[in-house]
Amino acid sequence: MKRFAPIIFICLTLIGLFLLLTGCEDGRTDSALNPQSGTGGSMARFAITGTTLYIVSKQTLEVYDIADGANPVKATDKNMSVGIETIFPYKDNLYIGASDGMYIFNNTNPKNPQLLSKFQHIQSCDPVVVRDKYAYVTLRSGVTCRPQNSLSSLDVIDISNPVDPKMVHTQRMSSPYGLAVSGNKLFVCEGSLGLTLLDITNPALPVFKQTFGDLPAYDVIARDKHLIVTGEKGLFQFKYDDADNVELLSKIPVL
Amino acid sequence: MVSKMKISLPNHSAMKYSLLLLLLVALIVSCTTERDEPLQRFPFDGTGYRPIYSTEENLAKIETIGAQPLAKPGKIYLLDNYLFINESGQGIHIIDNADPKNPKNLSFISIPGNYDIAAKGSFLYADNLSNLLVFNISDPKSPKLAKTIPNAIPVNNYPPFNNVYFECVESKKGIVTGWEKVPMSEMPKCSR
Repeated sequence: MKRFAPIIFICLTLIGLFLLLTGCEDGRTDSALNPQSGTGGSMARFAITGTTLYIVSKQTLEVYDIADGANPVKATDKNMSVGIETIFPYKDNLYIGASDGMYIFNNTNPKNPQLLSKFQHIQSCDPVVVRDKYAYVTLRSGVTCRPQNSLSSLDVIDISNPVDPKMVHTQRMSSPYGLAVSGNKLFVCEGSLGLTLLDITNPALPVFKQTFGDLPAYDVIARDKHLIVTGEKGLFQFKYDDADNVELLSKIPVL
Repeated sequence: MVSKMKISLPNHSAMKYSLLLLLLVALIVSCTTERDEPLQRFPFDGTGYRPIYSTEENLAKIETIGAQPLAKPGKIYLLDNYLFINESGQGIHIIDNADPKNPKNLSFISIPGNYDIAAKGSFLYADNLSNLLVFNISDPKSPKLAKTIPNAIPVNNYPPFNNVYFECVESKKGIVTGWEKVPMSEMPKCSR
């Protein structure tokens, strides 16, 4: 056993060095905030950036080249050995919600993403959204991959160094599903309990504003002061402003 | 416990090693007992998940039909002026959202086992259980199936929840397209 110790140490050092180097690369690259052509909600298992389609399912990240849109060609897959539920591309990284934590992949080389880190502090396969230095993750108790006695929460993770994510804040939520971030606002779907609005003027410390209880919410997209929500009552669209005014634009009710 | 043993440890090296060995064994045993789970890992509350089976034939029934009312809307995807709404396990609503004050429900693609969507340019990608489908949506009123990539998406043979009991999947009954929570008088054999 003793004989293997140095080998293990060397391996660990090499891995660490590799992660550091890829991390530096990430810092240098400049790209659009939202690398997606369209926009999915945070519950998505499909995501497109550039000419790459990512699919997370079961235990793998599947990567397809869609340069020829009608004809996806498999580029690679990354076996993760744990259940994966959601994927959120942001800048040069892919944030993946898995059953044992949040994984960050660098996709500077989109057809062959590289694992940067795994944030294991949380046990979740619930959605992640990212803005600037912070990732917001909702963890819903009882279902998905959480231990039975754990509580639902909203966690804020500092990802300014994607190789070494750190939890900076956690707060109780009732029953969180999808979430969306835009401007100084964080929207969290809470299933049949409604849609919750939080203020993130201080991005590390979301402050509860209100819950729209008559708006059951499952998935949400927030973009340019325009909010799109689905839930058991149907599709609802709103516009909102910096002063927390939220105005209904339209709805397509469930019949 | 460890420190106590160290204090009472005699200088005799053979004794030292056998004690160390004992400690090691004790450690390993303590690990296994921790990991050993009782037969019923968590209480059975009289409900469980039952697989919804479908046949290969039914799964291949993909068609574009006229606009359908929303019933159980799931995930959403926004591409330019169009909004795609998943109908859980059933397919995709295509909405013209050029005017968000007046969205127009254009069409519905019926896809068994569909939960996920993404779109770019004139193509829409969707899951059909383990198959990956590509639709040409240059005419969003009448999307056309452009390609099917079979077995592109690995799927689980268990419900997407933890700490639940479920009826074990029997492949001879068909392909599992979803799970329904139902009352069960007997505790099912499978759990996760």
